[in-house]
Amino acid sequence: MIKIGDITLKPTKIICLGTNYMDHIEETGLGIPKEPLLFPKTLNCLITNNQPIVYPKYLYNNRRYNRMDFEVELAFIVKDKCKNISAEDVYDHILGYTVFNDVTARKMQTKDIISQKPWFRSKSFDTFGPIGPVIKIIDEIRDPHNLDIELKVNNEIKQSSNTKYLLFKIPETFEYITKLFTMEPGDIIATGTPGGIGPVNPGDLIEATIENIGTLTNKVILEGEE
Amino acid sequence: MKIGNTDITPTKIICLGRNYSEHAKEFNATVPTEPVFFVKTINSIITNGKPIIYPRILYENEKFNRVDHEVELAFILSKKCKKISPENAFDYIQGYSIFLDITARKMQIYDRNKNLPWYRSKNFDTFSVIGPQIVPLNEIKDPHNLNIELQINEKVKQSSNTKHMIFKIPRIMEYISSFLTLERGDIIATGTPSGVGPIQPGDIVEASIEKIGKIRHEVIIEE
Repeated sequence: MIKIGDITLKPTKIICLGTNYMDHIEETGLGIPKEPLLFPKTLNCLITNNQPIVYPKYLYNNRRYNRMDFEVELAFIVKDKCKNISAEDVYDHILGYTVFNDVTARKMQTKDIISQKPWFRSKSFDTFGPIGPVIKIIDEIRDPHNLDIELKVNNEIKQSSNTKYLLFKIPETFEYITKLFTMEPGDIIATGTPGGIGPVNPGDLIEATIENIGTLTNKVILEGEE
Repeated sequence: MKIGNTDITPTKIICLGRNYSEHAKEFNATVPTEPVFFVKTINSIITNGKPIIYPRILYENEKFNRVDHEVELAFILSKKCKKISPENAFDYIQGYSIFLDITARKMQIYDRNKNLPWYRSKNFDTFSVIGPQIVPLNEIKDPHNLNIELQINEKVKQSSNTKHMIFKIPRIMEYISSFLTLERGDIIATGTPSGVGPIQPGDIVEASIEKIGKIRHEVIIEE
C-alpha cells in the first residue's frame, strides 16, 4: 500500500518498459525493440516524494558495482482488473498519470545483461522506485503524449525530452501488456526513460518533472546514514 | 490467497535459476557462484488443482510454442525482514510448499539470447502453481533431504532430491535479503532439478515433494 498525494494505491506489480525512447536506445547500444520490452520491479522499491533514495553499501563499496543511475519516466496507474484490452479501449482502464524514477544499479545491470542473467536484482533494491508527487487523474491530462519530461541533479538538467518521443505509446503498450498478463487496480506501468541517464551519489538531490503532473524530489543518501 | 488452510498475501515471488547443477548443464549455463534470481508477479499464481492455461499467443506461434514444467521446493516468509544472517534464516520462514515454475521456454531462450529481461516468459497468468498446502517449518526437520518428483500423464519426468540444491535455504535467504526487504507471505522458489520438458494441452501434471504432498493440474488451451 502506498499513498501518492491524496490517493492510496495497492499495487500488485510494477512493470517497466526498457528502451522506449530513441535517444536512450542509442546511448545504451541496445537494439530498437519490435514490441515493448518489459521487466518488473518489486513493491519493496517504492517510495514517494521527499523520501530518500538509499544507495546500498553493497553497491557503493564494491568497485564492480558502484554506479547507481536515475531514469525519469512517465508512469500510468491501472484502474481496474483487466486482460486483453484493445488499443482503442485502453484509456477506460487507466486511473491516471504520475512521475516515476527507475533507479538502477547500472554496473550490476550491465554485468547481468552481458552474462544473460535476469535483469531483476539491479532494479529492485529498496527505495529504487520513487513515485509521485501526485497522481493526475486521466481527465486532467488531455494528451499524455505531449508532455515535457525533465530530470535535474543538484539543479543541473540531465534529462530533457517530451513524451511525444515514446516509441510505443500508451495504447499499444497497454494492449501488449494485457495480452500477456492480468492487470490489477493500482498496478503501475512505467513507460521508459529518455536519453541522458547518468550516475548519482550520496548527497545528490534529484528532481524529476513532468509537465502538468509535477516534480518528484528525492535526496540520495548512503545506506546506514539514514 | 488460500493455500490449503493457510491464507497468505504475498507481495512478490522470487525464484532461483540454475540451483541444481544437472539442470544448469542441460541449458549449457554455467554453475553460478552466487544465487541467480528472478521475479514472478502475483498474476501468475494458481492453487489447488486449477488448470494451467496454455496461452494462444504461444501455442499459435511457431517461434514460441513450447511451455515447460519445472518443479521446485518453495518456502514462505513469516515476517518482514532484511539482511538476515544464514544462522537466523529459519526464524523468518513459516513453511514449505510445492511450486511449479511454468516457463514459456522458446520465448525465454529468445529473450535471453537477445540479452532481454526474462520477465514475460515466466509470468503469464497461471504460470506459478503452488500447493497443496503450506507445511509448517517445524514439521520438516531437514528441508534439504526431500525427494522431489514431477510426472506428466503418470510418466516420471523430473526426479531428484533437495540435497542436490547448490545454494541451500540459509544462503538463499542471506543473499536475497541482502538486496530486498522481504514481506510476510512472500514466496521463494528454490530452483528446479534436471528433466524439464514441454507440456501440452490435455496433459496432467503431478508434482510431489516428500513430506509436503502432491499437486495435480491439467493443462488446457486458452479459450
